[in-house]
Amino acid sequence: MLGAATKRSAAGEGEPMAADQPTGATSSEPVTKATRGAKTIEVRDVDLYYGDFHAVEGVTMTIAPNKVTALIGSSGCGKTTFLRSLNRMHELTPRARVEGHVSLDGEDVYAKGVDPVEVRRLIGMVFQQPNPFPTMSIYDNVAAGLNLNSSRVPKSRKDEVVERALRGAHLWEEVKDRLDKPGSSLSGGQQQRLCIARATAVEPEVLLMDEPCSALDPLATLAIEDLISELKNRYTIVIVTHNMQQAARASDVTAFFNLDATGKPGHLVEVGATDQMFTNPTEKQTEDYVSGRFG
Amino acid sequence: MPEIARSEYLEELATLEASALGGLDLVNVALARTMEAVENQDVELAQVVIADDDRIDGRYLEVHQSLITLLATQSPVATDLRLISALLHVLKSIERMGDQCVNVCKVIPLTGNYAPVDPRMIELIVKMGGHTKTLITQAKRAFEERDVEMARDLVRRDDAVDALNRECFHLALEIGDDTDRREWAMTMLLAARAIERVGDNAVDIGEQVAFVVTGLFREFEDASHPS
Repeated sequence: MLGAATKRSAAGEGEPMAADQPTGATSSEPVTKATRGAKTIEVRDVDLYYGDFHAVEGVTMTIAPNKVTALIGSSGCGKTTFLRSLNRMHELTPRARVEGHVSLDGEDVYAKGVDPVEVRRLIGMVFQQPNPFPTMSIYDNVAAGLNLNSSRVPKSRKDEVVERALRGAHLWEEVKDRLDKPGSSLSGGQQQRLCIARATAVEPEVLLMDEPCSALDPLATLAIEDLISELKNRYTIVIVTHNMQQAARASDVTAFFNLDATGKPGHLVEVGATDQMFTNPTEKQTEDYVSGRFG
Repeated sequence: MPEIARSEYLEELATLEASALGGLDLVNVALARTMEAVENQDVELAQVVIADDDRIDGRYLEVHQSLITLLATQSPVATDLRLISALLHVLKSIERMGDQCVNVCKVIPLTGNYAPVDPRMIELIVKMGGHTKTLITQAKRAFEERDVEMARDLVRRDDAVDALNRECFHLALEIGDDTDRREWAMTMLLAARAIERVGDNAVDIGEQVAFVVTGLFREFEDASHPS
């Protein structure tokens, strides 16, 4: 599954990464078996750094398959940094490093020899701002991952994947007659669904979403939330959101991150079933945050 | 961590809680008048209680609407959400308590101007009213102080009201063969039953106190499956 590195990933990985060392409590062998479906992410004692700055401290949690896990917390508490550590995007930042253990169905994501590019294929990401490749057509945007991951994919196979991904992202009916038009010609909500189609076209097992609706209007937001709810049948989904109601509406599990003071590392305060977190959280900090007492 | 207090919202919620619980004071006034009307067969005072129930209903409608608005506009969660949910229940209980006082007052004229009063029955009902008034006061205090133990104690106090209600029933059975006396006793049993229900409503409010504090709703006593 997590193929051994045969090449380094593209730009941005200039710095030598502590992440290349197996730093967690366990160290699995690089895995080659191929299985499909949503996976469990195990996070054990993860610490994240930007140079000397300790950004996130001691996170241990299990992210369940076929569920939407929302990461909430005030700005600067490290939830996006944590999200990016799950698919080894954190290490793309110069001098960033990871300590601890992250595994996908028991397979160490940071094990020596694991190709970060393959990790990012299996654990796809959707960003805050819809970011389709502006000069590429809608079709090529969806097929971009396929083109990068395998050099020779027959056109018929590509057509099939593009249609399936666009249907899965509830975009097919809206764009099927203009697949050759640029991705940037779509509305914000459509562009975000295009990005979700692009992320799912390479058949990931996990989808990470970093505030995927923050740039969208309420209707487009609800469309994405409906889509997320459907996608969880196939993927493990982790979503960072500042929108408390979105976390309440769209997630099954909520994890609350906080930091004691500016400059201190963020940490996981509480994780639990979303209905519990929003009706009767265990920790007072969580209660105060979800109630809007601070933020 | 920057503090954002949401002070207006919190003030409004506190005001609405005070207003909802203030409905219990209105009920206590109505109950005291109802007992006086029962004791003296005072039809006019009974009419006052019936007319004054509009104030309790008005309180219910006003606070209920404001709570719905708060739900719609402030997206309350956690303790705030439980509090609002509990207050909606409390309001319903208050409205029912007011109606039960009205039910009692409506039967007073039915007994006629020269009712064959049995002072023992009147005494029992007035005693029930006194106990129930204490229950209402205690339910209000338990809610204000979020005191689950005080709320649970309402069950014990309500048992005394239930016992008095049963005494009323036995007294009615033994009231004799005179038709007028039996009719009067049956009518007064309706009054006793209504007061007994007011006590139950006070216990219901106690259960909401436990819900606000613990997040778990459990009936203090399962009426369908008594232990």
